[in-house]
Amino acid sequence: MICRELIDILDDYLDGALAPEFVRDLERHLEGCAPCRAYIATYRKTREVGAAATRVDMPQEMKARLRRFLADKLGGA
Amino acid sequence: MTRYAGRIYRLAYGITRSSADAEEVVQDVFLQLVQKGAGFEGRAALSSWIYRITTNTSLNKRRGKRRELETSLDELLPRYRADGHRDGERAFLVSDWSGTPEEELLAGESRRILEQAIDLLPDHYRAVLVLKDVEELSNEDVAQIVGDTIAAVKTRLHRARMALREQLTLRLGGRA
Repeated sequence: MICRELIDILDDYLDGALAPEFVRDLERHLEGCAPCRAYIATYRKTREVGAAATRVDMPQEMKARLRRFLADKLGGA
Repeated sequence: MTRYAGRIYRLAYGITRSSADAEEVVQDVFLQLVQKGAGFEGRAALSSWIYRITTNTSLNKRRGKRRELETSLDELLPRYRADGHRDGERAFLVSDWSGTPEEELLAGESRRILEQAIDLLPDHYRAVLVLKDVEELSNEDVAQIVGDTIAAVKTRLHRARMALREQLTLRLGGRA
């Protein structure tokens, strides 16, 4: 396995969706490839922090405005 | 009804990256929901409909404001040598900032870098990223919501994550 092939199937590997023979190839490659070890570690971390950064809550004042907006619209309907 | 507001806002904000636009999307979606009435067979059908309408409304809102071109994403993806190994300086290739605590990455300058990297992604890439990584939907559900194949969704997700990783490594790597 070469680096490009490893990176192509990285999501399936991290999701546990890779066939065992590919897992063996991939992990054998990882043992001898420092750049791919760094890549996989930072890719996994990217998934985590990317999700965390996008997990925003609706501001309370916006919820209040939405309630007023819906009351106006539905009341006038 | 308002139990869905948080989810709609999160997805709308994730795509539009604008609090004001996301608020308008929430209002639009609720109005469409009221007009549609109670014609849903169960909560799953309602959730799926809400995600689909929110995604489409958010993407429509971004239309015309879009600065990015999909081709520009290629510049943010890893480069390879002819033999299939990654191209670039060794220090960059082995740069590993994954040991940085999440709370540190989500604060201050690192947070700003992360937000800018997310902003750089094309809208429909952010859409699948939020649906998959934040809402934690299956690839099948995401494909149905965005009206694409599962393979296309997986490719888009991978490209989005690779582009984000590349940006973060370029800007955070030296600090690790």
